[in-house]
Amino acid sequence: MRLSLSSGPHIRAKSDTRLTMLDVLIALLPTTAAGIYFFGTRAALLLAVSVASCVLFEALWCALGHRKSTVGDLSAAVTGLLLGLNLPSSAPWWLPVIGAAFAILVIKQLFGGLGANFLNPALAARAALLSSWPAHMTTFLLPQRTLFVNTAAVADAATAATPLTAKSSSYLDLFLGNIPGCIGEVCKAALILGLLYLLVRKVIGWQIPVVMVATVALLSWALGEDPLQAVLSGGLLLGAIFMATDYVTSPMLAVGECIYAFGCGVILVLIRKFGNYPEGCSYAILIMNIITPLIDKYCKRKVYGEVKKNA
Amino acid sequence: MKKYTFKGGIHPLHDRHEGKTPTADKPVRKFVSDTVCIPMDMHLGAPSKPCVKKGDHVLMGQLIGEPVGGLGVPVHASVSGTVLEVARRQNTGAGLSECVTIQNDFKDEWVELKGLGNVETAPADQIIPAIAAAGICGMGGACFPTAAKLRIPEGQSIDTILVNGAECETFLTADHRLMLETPMRVVDGLRAAMRATGVKRGVICIEENKMDAVATIKKAAGGREGVSVAVMKTKYPEGGEKQLIKAITGREVPSGGLPMHAHVVVLNAATCAAIADAVIDGKPLVERITTVTGCVREPANLSLRIGTIFMDAIGECGGYSEPAGKIFTGGSMCGICVPDDTVPVSKGNNGIVVLNEKEATPPETTACIRCGRCVRACPMGLNPYRLLNLCEAGDKAQAEKEHLLDCIFCGSCSYVCPARRWMTAAFKNAKDEIMAARRAKK
Repeated sequence: MRLSLSSGPHIRAKSDTRLTMLDVLIALLPTTAAGIYFFGTRAALLLAVSVASCVLFEALWCALGHRKSTVGDLSAAVTGLLLGLNLPSSAPWWLPVIGAAFAILVIKQLFGGLGANFLNPALAARAALLSSWPAHMTTFLLPQRTLFVNTAAVADAATAATPLTAKSSSYLDLFLGNIPGCIGEVCKAALILGLLYLLVRKVIGWQIPVVMVATVALLSWALGEDPLQAVLSGGLLLGAIFMATDYVTSPMLAVGECIYAFGCGVILVLIRKFGNYPEGCSYAILIMNIITPLIDKYCKRKVYGEVKKNA
Repeated sequence: MKKYTFKGGIHPLHDRHEGKTPTADKPVRKFVSDTVCIPMDMHLGAPSKPCVKKGDHVLMGQLIGEPVGGLGVPVHASVSGTVLEVARRQNTGAGLSECVTIQNDFKDEWVELKGLGNVETAPADQIIPAIAAAGICGMGGACFPTAAKLRIPEGQSIDTILVNGAECETFLTADHRLMLETPMRVVDGLRAAMRATGVKRGVICIEENKMDAVATIKKAAGGREGVSVAVMKTKYPEGGEKQLIKAITGREVPSGGLPMHAHVVVLNAATCAAIADAVIDGKPLVERITTVTGCVREPANLSLRIGTIFMDAIGECGGYSEPAGKIFTGGSMCGICVPDDTVPVSKGNNGIVVLNEKEATPPETTACIRCGRCVRACPMGLNPYRLLNLCEAGDKAQAEKEHLLDCIFCGSCSYVCPARRWMTAAFKNAKDEIMAARRAKK
């Protein structure tokens, strides 16, 4: 009789890293579908190139370093899909390839691989592409199709205009995605569907998306903006639901998550209102990524038994 | 109805009734084997000294191991018959221990027993000596000598005794069946302990997945002085001593302290039943209820004589249903693996669980993704991912500063970890090393 010996626990929860990443991919399905619906085959091509390059660079890195392949944990696929969804549909096909190389090789692997990166790889790549090829990254095409309504707003929006400057869109258009913008950010309905899935599957808590969106709404309102317009515009929902919630670069406990999300919201509004960029979601999250270790250091749970003896 | 609980914790096998379905409805069945092999070190403290030799005839309940030292516990024959051997044998723990093997003559001839009678009228000062003489140690797995636990040192005071009937561990139903079938023994045991220590408040704590046991215990406890029943949330480790104390009394056991420093004593439900037998009838601890489950043909709750060989108990349950890959004593969170099925059942053995080869295959460990699930799951408020990093880096001093020694090894962090890291095992090793270094310094 050969029995294996180990210390407990002898059972493990079902959810492992791969399943968690798979859940994120599933949650991104509605957004991906909406992006392809609005921006056509060009969007599908960009997303495919982005996912494929991220997975390939991950496999290449493992192969060159004689490491066990980590492609199976699906984290590279998630990074690829998020990077693709953060591109405008007008982007040339090679843009996601460069973005993928930067995200996977520089941001993720050079800092120690999965779990050791201090910035969200997809967001860092987006920021790098934005500063290197600003024209490619800010040329937003009109949706090829619209959903349910076809208002004048869509026609009014110039191809070069950023979504935040197209102020004439109705709330419904903003919500459904009948506006120009990045592939994954236009359809808020699909993003919220993804959020609900993540919450039901307990992949993420409500704290980061809710606090970040609420902060943006309140602060925009305080600064005399239309809060609903502020929430439904730009990349806020994509960022709050799928980018800011990245495990690796966000705090671990609910209190820390709230501080982090509040910070994201404040920086985002300040950039929108006072910065040179029309949208500040990526930079807001990246800045808070850097502060995350500090937040984790000070937001700890109270240790049981930390009382005076015989108190 | 108020449900008591603590912060953190997990819900292992929640979709399968915590793994208890196969045995929860099975009444306890007695099983007596041909031979028993009784270890001398079933308790925490120095091993007892065998006082019989090969060829001796022993009666049931006869003293076969004399207690040694302050935490010593006497050992008694669990069958009547002939001593076959006194030798060192493989035990459930890591090494060999001195064991007395007895051939059963199936006559169950008891030594003369002298009980104190009704627990409410027994002289209070004779209760703890009766518990000590009966060889009782904690039957929930920790095996701390019960009499020593109830002897409250000068300068300390306790005001509450908690009976741990939470049975939050997966797979186990031994305490559940005990509370259902003989609730009065649990209540009597608690009352005896309360009278012995002069404590006015006794609370029997049961998880809400055992509402039938709550009902029987409530009925048995009706009209008994100072005894109440508390319903606990079904969550692991609800029955952890420190979690139970916090949930019921709101107090915390100070870091490095004992429950009595929070003015509480915690007794397992099976321990209470053994106390009742010892006080009322003068019966020593010679049998206990053990859940035999997992990959066995007919999972069951067996009342086993102490020293029953695992193989015999598993045979009584129809044998293995598929090739065994792992066998452990206790539940699947804290259970201790045994090297083979020839080891004996000891006083703290509440379960024998068999996993098949697939279930026994250790999961592959990947990189930490900082998801924070371990931090939220830790019932002690520790930072498991950080402590593991420190242990792996060999920085035990810093790990100690960050409360490594407060870890209760419940396994919650390892259970929830999506990267399948072995946190609990690393913490156990690190704590052992730190304690060994401390002893060496002294």
